[in-house]
Amino acid sequence: MANDQIAPAQGKIVVSGFRHFFDTADGPVQATGVVDLAIRAGEFVTLVGPSGCGKTTLLKAIAGFIKPTEGAIFCDGREVTRPGRDRGVVFQELAILPWRTVRRNIGHGLEIARVPRATRERAVARLIELTGLVGFEDRYPHELSGGMKQRVAVARTWAADPDVILMDEPFAAVDAMTRLTLQEELARLCAATRKTVFFITHSVDEAVFLGDRVLVMTRRPGEIKARIDIPRRAPGGRDWESFTADPEMQGIAEQVLKLVRAERGAALFAEDGVQQPARRCDAGPQNSQRPSFETPASRAPQDEG
Amino acid sequence: MAMSATAVTAVRRPHGLLGARRSLDNLKVLLPFALLVAAWWAIHATGDFAPNVLVSPLAVWRAFVHLVTHGVLAEYASTSLTMIGIAASISMLIGVPIGFAVGVNRYAAHALEGFLRFLQGISGIAWLPLAIIWFGFSHTTTLVIVMYTLIVPIIFNTMIGVRAIPENYTLALRSLGAGRLRLVTDVYLPGALPSIVVGLRLGMGYGWRALIAAEMLVRKGGLGDLIFGARTFGQVDRIIVGMIMIGGLYIIVDRLIVQPIENLTVARWGMLRK
Repeated sequence: MANDQIAPAQGKIVVSGFRHFFDTADGPVQATGVVDLAIRAGEFVTLVGPSGCGKTTLLKAIAGFIKPTEGAIFCDGREVTRPGRDRGVVFQELAILPWRTVRRNIGHGLEIARVPRATRERAVARLIELTGLVGFEDRYPHELSGGMKQRVAVARTWAADPDVILMDEPFAAVDAMTRLTLQEELARLCAATRKTVFFITHSVDEAVFLGDRVLVMTRRPGEIKARIDIPRRAPGGRDWESFTADPEMQGIAEQVLKLVRAERGAALFAEDGVQQPARRCDAGPQNSQRPSFETPASRAPQDEG
Repeated sequence: MAMSATAVTAVRRPHGLLGARRSLDNLKVLLPFALLVAAWWAIHATGDFAPNVLVSPLAVWRAFVHLVTHGVLAEYASTSLTMIGIAASISMLIGVPIGFAVGVNRYAAHALEGFLRFLQGISGIAWLPLAIIWFGFSHTTTLVIVMYTLIVPIIFNTMIGVRAIPENYTLALRSLGAGRLRLVTDVYLPGALPSIVVGLRLGMGYGWRALIAAEMLVRKGGLGDLIFGARTFGQVDRIIVGMIMIGGLYIIVDRLIVQPIENLTVARWGMLRK
């Protein structure tokens, strides 16, 4: 695949020729394939892929927690070298501080930025309302359920108002029912607050439900094999009922699922010693009536998609 | 579900039935003491002991009253308490920052772990002969010994506490724009606090015991001096009064100083590992 040179100015976040290796006792281990992507301002981009494909590694590199072995990552044209308040992160768990109340956790970013107290309190109050934490402002995290804790984590990142929000499978550790609720709440929150979000997940449904654009990653070492635009959702955000009833959405979810499962299929073939099918799954001409699928094979060189 | 916006406190006032049960709990705590005194009284009453070998509980009580009314007990006790107070304060002021510095640096932590354990093995009391050679029979000797026994567990436990902090906390805060100082005040300090409290508790235990031993040797005041001096005159009643004071004061200091720190912080944050 041609290594597209994406000019740093073309997106809020631009990942250019990124490839990462980890140093282990047995020598370098390849964590990702070559990854190029761009996230535009105001977009909600989801990345879905099988376990171990390197999506968390990619997110950590964008966050500045790790330094890319190859390639570079740019945020607003500036190269990313360390963590910063322009790139907020929502972790899966163990993120909010147990020694601060909900209120003080949410306001933490603003406190660090020395925002005047009145402004800070207003922002915190607004986020508490938007994330459904009213009544829990003065509780400590150990008094909250897993879902509530994640709401606090989301609220904290949102309150700090970073340029980009990176979410590392934030709902994976929460029970299935709460997860659906949190996804809907996140969709509403995003509809109300227009942010740029990069969200990685295992779950195809979650990726299609939340994303404006879904990226599919191959198995390890992962590369982006498909980029799918999702039709606009209702102004107030999406809900699961209408999502599951919508044939267009379900069709997209099906296609994405096939793309992801093909990665597992490829792994099986490899173990059998039979020739592997091409790792990049071409969506093919039969999908011409579906919303635009862009795979490396089909897209024009200059078009990021 | 009614939502209350008031803060949840760890300490609740007992009332009514709950109050009665609380008093019953307190009685349960006193039971072993009562049993011990009863057994002691029985042994003394049935055996034939010379007064310079064992005395009755009543004799000890009389000695206690005598020492209190003559201000003797207050003086010796306050010497000991002052010493442990100073030693604890200095040890915390020095030990916690060292523990931090070592804990934050992974290589330093690995390198020093064995060394600190070694130092912990050489109890403070084993340093007494050397300390007496260097500083003579003085308060300096006592202070140095007690500080040594206090500081090692404080450094060690602070170090462990810092290392045990989940990485996500610091990563999350750095993504909120926190600098190094912020990380220390907002993550490392509160995060390591439960372990620091453990270290303080341990240190106070070792320190108090080392204090009494040092006082016995240095003989410049304090409860150790009191009980060792009483031995010369065969004043067993005074010895036992001293011992009871030593144990009692230890509990009081723990309840009055260490426990409130724990309640206000670790217990409130739900980080108490029971």
